[in-house]
Amino acid sequence: MRRVAVIGVGVTKFGKHDRTSAELFAEAARDALADAELPPSAVQALYYGNVVGGETEKQLHTGPQAASVLGIPTVPTTRFETACASSHAAFRHAVMELAAGVSEVVLVGGAERVLNVPTAEATEYFAYASDAVWEQPVGLTFPGVFALIARAHMAKHGTTEEQMAHVAVKNHRHGALNPKAQFQKEITLEQVLRSAYVADPLKLYDCCPFTDGGAAVVLASEEIARQRRRGIWVLGSAAASDSMLMHDKRDLARVPATERAAAAAYRQAGLGPEDVDVVELHDCFTIAEIVATEGLGLFEPGTGGLAAEKGWTSLGGKIPVNTSGGLKAKGHPIGATGAAQIVEVVTQLRGEAGPRQVEGARIGLTHTLGGNTATVLVSLFGRD
Amino acid sequence: MAATEPVITLKNFFERAREGALTAVRCGKCSALAIPPKEFCESCHQRAWEPVALSGQGTIASYTIIRVAPARHAAEAPYAVAVVQLKEGVSLLGRIVDLPLDKLQVGLPVKFRPLVVNSQTALGFGPA
Repeated sequence: MRRVAVIGVGVTKFGKHDRTSAELFAEAARDALADAELPPSAVQALYYGNVVGGETEKQLHTGPQAASVLGIPTVPTTRFETACASSHAAFRHAVMELAAGVSEVVLVGGAERVLNVPTAEATEYFAYASDAVWEQPVGLTFPGVFALIARAHMAKHGTTEEQMAHVAVKNHRHGALNPKAQFQKEITLEQVLRSAYVADPLKLYDCCPFTDGGAAVVLASEEIARQRRRGIWVLGSAAASDSMLMHDKRDLARVPATERAAAAAYRQAGLGPEDVDVVELHDCFTIAEIVATEGLGLFEPGTGGLAAEKGWTSLGGKIPVNTSGGLKAKGHPIGATGAAQIVEVVTQLRGEAGPRQVEGARIGLTHTLGGNTATVLVSLFGRD
Repeated sequence: MAATEPVITLKNFFERAREGALTAVRCGKCSALAIPPKEFCESCHQRAWEPVALSGQGTIASYTIIRVAPARHAAEAPYAVAVVQLKEGVSLLGRIVDLPLDKLQVGLPVKFRPLVVNSQTALGFGPA
């Protein structure tokens, strides 16, 4: 298999926009192509993530629509939908197309628009990623799914609401350093703990926001990447799935798909968790970050809460997690999230992250989770 | 039984649930118990299901109180949802009914009861 590199990245400001998801993607893709020093005509395929376009924008076939708005309507385009992991799934398939020698340059990205509908409506559309017969009629929401995980983690490991609050405080502190973040302000532990319950034990400040935004990365073969100075190698990219239904999960305090995807990605790269310098992981809720740091092998099972409390995942800590602010502060435009995490890790490995730079970062990891923890993607990146 | 005929369809399960009966399927090869519908056994990948009646008795494995609800459930909030581990070993997700929200805890015994709203059946769990 051929080596593959990321040679260009772009991301919109995250937050509320009055443009369609296709327009948001096109802005990010324009910036990614400029960063790659390539014209739109160089793109041979587009792998695209978009999740609730059918609901919030009454729009299907969003892949070709995005390609058309970007100005590359004749490029083969496929939309991926694996809930919140959509553009990371798109990325993995693009890597395989390049590694197989089918193409030399592939564009990957995603976009989402949700702030054009009321919160209760958006909550319902997101719940479509839960089971329509078993879960939606009971009134399960996504905060509810992660609240079930949180309660199980608390019962099994003694994790506390205060430890979860530390994740939110840390990610807001990081987000304040990211000009693209939806929330660029620090918050206090008190603010998190005093915020209203959304789905007990998760409170408002344990939850990521609804977000509009787009992200894009340009992938290229080794030959093209070698002609540039800032290529970042894809060292591994793996996917894993797990039972769709909450009632089929054996242990609610774990996310087995994270453990399996991480094991496969580490094996591909010939690396282990101890080699990783910077991590962007799926903190849709604070408990999700705690469970992910355990599943990725960064900390022992059951100690993710302690790691958050001790500051081990903060900039300047043992292993900085979510330097972008994460989904919590940077925002979570679901179809764009996987690509946006890659944008951050590539920026870190290039040494271009400014005030949030992890000094000397050589190996980076991204982790994206979809739906009721039924889809997980993990990718590893490295610089020469 | 023809190989293409499922043992218990979703429709069967919820028709029985509406009458107050929960039905699982047990693998005739490896004895694994599962909630239908399932074509193959997750454990041994055989297709040798037998329907098994569940008691409906279990304990709360995890729960949450939903305060920000989807549009179609907004009028019902706050309400509790729990994963209940049934005494036979399998689990089911259901709405908690007839129990004070502040009395809920992991390990609390509960019992199944059907919830029928607008002719749609959902799973509920109330006092044991």
